[in-house]
Amino acid sequence: MTRLRLQAFALAASAALALLLTACGGSDPDVPGSVGPSGAPTTKGTFTAIVSFGTSPSDVGTYSPATSLAGNGQAPYFGGRFTTNSATGTVWVENLAVALGITITAAEMGFNGTSVPCPAQAINPALAATCTAYAQAGALVTGRNGRGRDPATGAGALTVPVGMQIDNHLARFTTFRSSDLIIVEGGLNDLFNAFEVFGAAAAQIQARAASGAISADEANRQLFTAQTAAQTEMKKAALELAGYVRDKIIARGGRYIAVATIPDPASTPFGRSPQVAPAASVLTALADTFNLWLREGLANQPVQILDLRNFFNETVANPTRYGLANVTVPACDAAKIAVVTGGQVTSGSSLFCNATPGVPYNGLRTGADPTTWFFADDIHPTTRGHQLIYEFANAQLRAFGWI
Amino acid sequence: MSRNLSLAALALGLALVGGTALAQQHTVKAGAIRYQTDAKTDGIRGVGIPPGADADIGSATTFLFTYEYAVRPDFGVELVIGVPPKITARGAGTVAFLGEVLSARNVAPTVLFNYHFGAPGDTWRPYLGLGVNYTKFTDVKTPYGWDVEMGDSTGLAAQLGVDYAVNKSWGVFASVARVKVKSKLVATGATVLETTIDFRPTTYSLGVSYRF
Repeated sequence: MTRLRLQAFALAASAALALLLTACGGSDPDVPGSVGPSGAPTTKGTFTAIVSFGTSPSDVGTYSPATSLAGNGQAPYFGGRFTTNSATGTVWVENLAVALGITITAAEMGFNGTSVPCPAQAINPALAATCTAYAQAGALVTGRNGRGRDPATGAGALTVPVGMQIDNHLARFTTFRSSDLIIVEGGLNDLFNAFEVFGAAAAQIQARAASGAISADEANRQLFTAQTAAQTEMKKAALELAGYVRDKIIARGGRYIAVATIPDPASTPFGRSPQVAPAASVLTALADTFNLWLREGLANQPVQILDLRNFFNETVANPTRYGLANVTVPACDAAKIAVVTGGQVTSGSSLFCNATPGVPYNGLRTGADPTTWFFADDIHPTTRGHQLIYEFANAQLRAFGWI
Repeated sequence: MSRNLSLAALALGLALVGGTALAQQHTVKAGAIRYQTDAKTDGIRGVGIPPGADADIGSATTFLFTYEYAVRPDFGVELVIGVPPKITARGAGTVAFLGEVLSARNVAPTVLFNYHFGAPGDTWRPYLGLGVNYTKFTDVKTPYGWDVEMGDSTGLAAQLGVDYAVNKSWGVFASVARVKVKSKLVATGATVLETTIDFRPTTYSLGVSYRF
């Protein structure tokens, strides 16, 4: 009797235990960013256009008129792209277009509040459909006034924001087509804005800590808060960009969509500069925060990620593998560019950097070689750098099965 | 909910099985329990979090209630519940400056199968138990504005205790237990922080018992 009862008890107990275990399970919470995009096409596309949205790395020459040799906004231009400019100094989007047998030209060209839409069409009406390079240096995801644009007057750079770039394409073509190879790249200018705000806050916090007004712990807490605020801006930008991809591109017929992650500026000459290097980890955090939320915002969306962040890190970490002799010093010389621009440009911006040997407006640093140096200025790649980005993108598109 | 039902079913099932065989098959206990953690995390990982970030997990004391059904004179099944204590976590390692980062209440019912030495009526009766603890974290709060999720934990529990009978019905007890409580934590804010906390608690209980 006792044995029987014990068996019955054991049965009830084990059944209850099993119930308990299955009911409770030990659930794991979901981790944002851990589910990436999915469902992108896996078949080859028949591409007739590259439609490119973004910022300086993808800008095919929006601000060329600012580099007019005659100084009247007309060609020929000595610069115009954020790289080592020359007859062969194209950016990666152009290199990709050449490889695919597609013509791509600037959607808009201008400076200081005046611009011409689809300038190629003015030269040859047959080129009207080629003006699909919308990316503009300085453009933000999150606001109209990008880097280099005067908020009050609109003077300086055009900086049409990424969302508006997409709207402009839709205004011209109504929808995206399955023959469009769509590239979305954005967020770096938002990052630099957020980093500047952080930098200003950090300087004040450190001054207060140095004067003894706040404790080291309190300073660290405030720095953490300032960094968190900057990361919050990156989250906002990434989710906004992902929203544009969903609502303005996928929902409007886009099929072959590659969305780029942003590189980590810590590995650029800017990030390595003495003023910035102490906060390099913040730059990395901001880039990674953006990329995390971009992935989260694109979870289960039919796009592919073009992981420029990994490409940049890999390249800068292994220069010889990529035929690079220098990945730390800008190939352009700020002093020479200042001379070429009559003292108007002192930042060394590669927009004004010409690499043609022997010309009087050559802006290369003595000894620099745009075919073996990676950086043109403190953040933008040289001609070789753009060739490498193109090769990476090309290999990725093959891996996606798109080309 | 299904957990509560299954526990109720267990109690009901046992009551039916037990039937009329023994007198004084039921014991209820009430007392205090010290939830002493010796927690380890696998580090706090997340974008913007410096390497070497960790957290210290606090301990807590709360009220304890148990019900035990004696299947045999020497064998019982015990349900242990408590008023969910508040456990706090403070930044440690490279993020010690963060101070308190989190607090949560752990709802932690435990079912134990106890072997009682000696015989009913003995003044001193030590017992050994083995069972399962389920811990759910509720009321998770953080001053940092994160949305925190903590995974439920299901793990083994073992206890060693002693009952002292004051009279036929009333007694006092003391017990010590080790419980496996492990939870994956994801805190989402501007970034995503992840860690797994192995609480490694030892509990010390003391209280009164009533047998009927």
